[in-house]
Amino acid sequence: MRRHLLISLLFAVAGLLGTAMVASAHGENAQEGFLRMETVAFSNVTFSKDTIKQGEDVTITGKATLLDTWPKTLGEPSTGFVNVTAPGPVLLMKDRLVNGMSAPDAIFVKKGNSYDFKLTLTGREPGRWHVHPTFAVEGAGTLIGPGQWVTVQDTGSFSNNLTLLNGQTVNLETYGVGQMGIFQWLGFGLGMAWMLYWTVPKIGGANHRTVSKLPVTLRIPLNTDGQDIGLITKQDHRVSNLLLLATIGLLVVGWVYQSVSFPIKIPQQVFRFTPPDLEQPPQLAKVVTKDANFDPQTSTLVMNVDVTNTSKGPITLKGFTTSSLTFVDQAAAGTGAEHVMVISPQGAINPGETKTVNLTLRDPVWRDTRMIEVNRPRIEVAGQLLFADSSGTQSGTTVATSVNPKLI
Amino acid sequence: MAATAQAISAAEAERQELRGLLHKQYRWLDYKFDIVFWVTAAFVVGAAADITKLLFAGDWDFWTDWKDRQWWPIISPFAFIIIPSALQYIQWLAWRFPTGATYTAVCMFLCSWVGRAFQWQGFVSYPLAFVWPATIIPAGIFLDWVLLKTKSFVLTSILGSMVWTLVFWTSNYMTLAPYLQPTQFMGHILTVADVQGIQYLRSQTPEYLRLVENGTLRSFLEETQYVSLVFGATLTVAGYWIGQAIARWLAIWPIGRFMKQF
Repeated sequence: MRRHLLISLLFAVAGLLGTAMVASAHGENAQEGFLRMETVAFSNVTFSKDTIKQGEDVTITGKATLLDTWPKTLGEPSTGFVNVTAPGPVLLMKDRLVNGMSAPDAIFVKKGNSYDFKLTLTGREPGRWHVHPTFAVEGAGTLIGPGQWVTVQDTGSFSNNLTLLNGQTVNLETYGVGQMGIFQWLGFGLGMAWMLYWTVPKIGGANHRTVSKLPVTLRIPLNTDGQDIGLITKQDHRVSNLLLLATIGLLVVGWVYQSVSFPIKIPQQVFRFTPPDLEQPPQLAKVVTKDANFDPQTSTLVMNVDVTNTSKGPITLKGFTTSSLTFVDQAAAGTGAEHVMVISPQGAINPGETKTVNLTLRDPVWRDTRMIEVNRPRIEVAGQLLFADSSGTQSGTTVATSVNPKLI
Repeated sequence: MAATAQAISAAEAERQELRGLLHKQYRWLDYKFDIVFWVTAAFVVGAAADITKLLFAGDWDFWTDWKDRQWWPIISPFAFIIIPSALQYIQWLAWRFPTGATYTAVCMFLCSWVGRAFQWQGFVSYPLAFVWPATIIPAGIFLDWVLLKTKSFVLTSILGSMVWTLVFWTSNYMTLAPYLQPTQFMGHILTVADVQGIQYLRSQTPEYLRLVENGTLRSFLEETQYVSLVFGATLTVAGYWIGQAIARWLAIWPIGRFMKQF
């Protein structure tokens, strides 16, 4: 019987482990699609490398735009933070530039603004890690940008050195641990001495039995120590006083040590600021969305938009960006394009001209990343249509509309 | 006169009886049972204290860049004293041991170190230098000593809680000190603790969530730290009585009801 039980358990464990998949994502698809599309649009996200050694840098650059379609339910965005999501501190953040300014902490943000970011990260933990840039907004949460696998190769040793203002160079991996260990474990020793004295009769005396004392303690008032019946003795007081003096001694030594060893200290710093606005290219077009339809079976989104050229030269529709996805014109896309769309009719739009353009975005990503779902309270699509003029100037025009899903 | 003598004699007789009971040898309730009790309770007490601490003051206890001079001395002593206070009541009531706070502190110390060293450093590779836990053992010894001397929970709650807050700050500031040294990073003067917070990625803890001293027009004569300690001490008195309430009404009272049935 026991053998059968053991074999069953082994099979169950093997079955569970055998079918389990490695979790390597960061919940980027967990948030509702319409929230991801209407909040932050990532574009031009690039990783400088996909393989680095420990101690070597990788740079992530890109742009995050807080869309005008920001849902009212999330509140007005005011504070944001550009960061990276990875499985723990496998990389170290060495530099963070937002709109060209160094941004160690959070930044103040505004709806409609774009934020160019450049994140310099150093390889720390050997392994293959899935890394995304992120844009967190207070009150809303963390919006995740396009990710990439980064391999950190083992070099045998790693140290994270930092030079202090006093000229001393310290390794942040271990700095202060020795001192902390000594003080904390000395304190633990005092705590154990206190406990052993009070609870071990061979050390503290026969009156230091525990469980069998209940019949006595329940019969005397709470505000007495029972000295007259030998519950707590004068020796107990003396030993407790000595242990307290030892504790005071430890605190005094520690305080003097830190004062002498680290004479210059400052409080933790908070450096939050409003990054300078990016120079915005002139708006090349106005867009009115006529309709949008989605077929869940084929994961196809079809949009019809009226585009009016508001610039002085002909413009071309280049693509559509939403959340962490960028779709490019299939006719112009190279073989490496990850997501494409069919634009019809093709060709430039002349100044002042209004043209109805049909966009077909057939891609499993809509379904796989749960971007458009028919069982949500808001079935919508939002993002930016990207236009370019003959000089190469690009601008994005925000579009947002409800989607008619093909339910039957 | 005769009645007084009779009362004195009755009191002396009771004292003798209690002395006898104190040293009575029981067949089954011997010292091995005491060891089993203290060791098994250690896991429950350590976990309860650690969870309470994490619920109320989780991030302040985790990261060096959260251990600031304004909020840390307010939130943490309050959060840390709840379970020690409860254990103090139980152990004083049941055994007249002034050990509840120290016992909780020692158990939580071991729990915290296991968590930080194995889970946080070993499993998710945050350096211990960044995620070291605060200690309350010296504060626990002080709190137990105050109870031993005053024999009063009211006085312990007032005097003990204030001493607790002061000792909490003193005993942990010596560990924090090296991380408050200035350095230049990303073009700014920051502390070592700030740099740790920036460099070691915390994906789901955006920097704006960090509740630390941020500057205020009410500068309190530029003595933020002392004002925080006084306010923290006052709040800790409330924390002490939350612990007492837990002990009196969630532990002792139900046990008493149960015992009366038999």
